[in-house]
Amino acid sequence: MTETLPTGFLEVRAWVLSRNPGLDSVGQDEDLIAARLVDSLTFVELVYVIEGASGVEIDFDTIDIEDFRTLGAIEKAFFGHATP
Amino acid sequence: MDAVSYTAQWTAAARAVETEREDGWLIRDELARELAAPRGFDLLDKYGGGGLLPYIAIRTRFFDDTVTDVLGTGEISQVVLIAAGMDARVFRLPWPDSAVVYEVDHGPLLAEKRARLARLGAAPKAKRVEVAADLAGDWVPALVDAGFDRDRPTLWVAEGLLFFLSEEQATGLLRTLAAASARKSGLAVDMVNRTLLRSPISRGFLDALAEDGTPWLFGTDEPEAFLAGTGWQSTQVAEPGQQGAGEGRWPYPVQPRERRGASRSWLVRAELR
Repeated sequence: MTETLPTGFLEVRAWVLSRNPGLDSVGQDEDLIAARLVDSLTFVELVYVIEGASGVEIDFDTIDIEDFRTLGAIEKAFFGHATP
Repeated sequence: MDAVSYTAQWTAAARAVETEREDGWLIRDELARELAAPRGFDLLDKYGGGGLLPYIAIRTRFFDDTVTDVLGTGEISQVVLIAAGMDARVFRLPWPDSAVVYEVDHGPLLAEKRARLARLGAAPKAKRVEVAADLAGDWVPALVDAGFDRDRPTLWVAEGLLFFLSEEQATGLLRTLAAASARKSGLAVDMVNRTLLRSPISRGFLDALAEDGTPWLFGTDEPEAFLAGTGWQSTQVAEPGQQGAGEGRWPYPVQPRERRGASRSWLVRAELR
């Protein structure tokens, strides 16, 4: 299968990997929060990385955590499409 | 023991974990492992993550340094640990000969702590006075009855406490401390910000605390202004990872104060206004 992922989204995936040394890959459906790949203190960084990469402004007061739970959800919510 | 006493156990467990690090430890608390029983380590596992372990290590060291610095000036020798829990500072810090440390907490917790410390043969390094009191009531008279001198400057230590209170209770407590303080008294306190209490990603941690009967309630985005409204002038407000607050040890970047959406903790030194 050939993936064509938006460049911006790849930055998000790269950030998750960089924030978790020792992690080689992260699946589109992996629960980032349950796996503690993102926690309450890195979450703000994730939000800013997504904003920077997607150009979408994210309002902290109305955040839906489900949009951030997996890379697939992030891609769908902020980069316009889901990987089939 | 009641729910809040379990809080004392898991923070003691966190101090034990730090003490047992092979290197790079910020604090040593050789009594912490015994004081964390029976539930401390289980609860720490349940709540852990999100920086909790390094936070408690950094916070403990910040408060240790504050006590040492303040008493080192020679102007203050009376210290009150509010909701002392399983704090073992009287047993592990160097204290000047003149120091008197009052440990205020619920009677059953103090009795359990006393029994454990006796079993361990722990010897206090300063005069230690237990004050059994309910902090929700009018507890200052019990402190005075135990020998507290309102006319001497005091260092009040309220560590890991304010988030368990409502804003009204937190305000009331700090005002009570100010009212019982002689000139030149000081305060060491920690708080969290509102984002930490609201953030959906903190939900699991916060829900677990609430289910266990110890919900986190109070937070402020403006620690300096909040303290000023309770009679205290902050002299240092540090976030974990900043100078004097675990720099080099905090595994997260410190977010600039103006950056919205960041969960924050405030480590504070203050003086009576």
